[in-house]
Amino acid sequence: MALPVLICDDSSFARKQMKRALPEGWDIDLTFAGNGLEGLDAIRQGKGEVVFLDLTMPEMDGYGVLEAIRKEDLPAMVIVVSGDIQPDAQERVKKLGAMAFIKKPIDVKKATEILTEFGILSEV
Amino acid sequence: MGAYAMTMSLTEDQRDCYQEITNVAMGQAADRLARLLNVYVILPIPKVNMISASELHMALAGTTVSDNVSAVCQGFIGSGIAGEALLVFNDASFSDLAQLMNYKGPLDRHGELELLMDVSSVLIGACIHGIGEQIEVSFNQCHPVVLGQHCHVDDLVKSGNHQWSQTLAIEIHYEIEDVNISCDLLLLFTEDSVAKINQQIDYLLD
Repeated sequence: MALPVLICDDSSFARKQMKRALPEGWDIDLTFAGNGLEGLDAIRQGKGEVVFLDLTMPEMDGYGVLEAIRKEDLPAMVIVVSGDIQPDAQERVKKLGAMAFIKKPIDVKKATEILTEFGILSEV
Repeated sequence: MGAYAMTMSLTEDQRDCYQEITNVAMGQAADRLARLLNVYVILPIPKVNMISASELHMALAGTTVSDNVSAVCQGFIGSGIAGEALLVFNDASFSDLAQLMNYKGPLDRHGELELLMDVSSVLIGACIHGIGEQIEVSFNQCHPVVLGQHCHVDDLVKSGNHQWSQTLAIEIHYEIEDVNISCDLLLLFTEDSVAKINQQIDYLLD
């Protein structure tokens, strides 16, 4: 069965860039969300087993989404994709339960590397 | 609205792309500042607009405390794209900044100027470099110029002689967590550069 993957970013340009950086031939069911609230909604509906999450967003930011996932104990593996590359930001999201941190602009190989590292991507 | 005005407006996709590129560049600049001062810089969503010379005043006044500011501007140019980076610093920030930078000298106009130049070189340099890198333009930076110390925002705008009608402006507000430090970085591209930089953006959107 295709894996439900969610890309949550307020920028349509960033969502497109993220989609392009996903491994080719990966069997997924892809959903997009334009802010944290939409993203959280999609995760609650089971559309985000793997989530690529931006931090700076209107309505609800990435930190808020991570907090809610933890509070509601939602089954989501979150990879934060952010332009906020300060040491503190990376530390905070890891503490909030994010699995990994990818800095923007996203490097095409990086997503594949991380997905492989965590065993999400076994063979493509 | 005439045809000219139409060509000078941004599409939603272009604005979104500028915002995202700025977001990445300001994140790189914040990272430099965060490591220098050992703080966390709060990053808002940047504003991207086509503004007229008369709106420049509003852009400035709307961003920060309008009286008691100090400001630096620095030109940049590359591949037919030119602009000015304007950093407006709230004067109330200097005492906390001096502490974080371990500045031991007297905090007079000279001391403040030194701090202002240090912070602006980090923020402006990293931001311009970050934007350039993403749109594949290598910007050269001119020498920074102090626009004023302890002045009102109005004085900054008045001192300029605007010979343009409408241009691209990117506004970034920086705040440092837990201390009283805030500043605004305004990137203004020359009117002649807008078509060229839009072209680079469209190439990314393609």
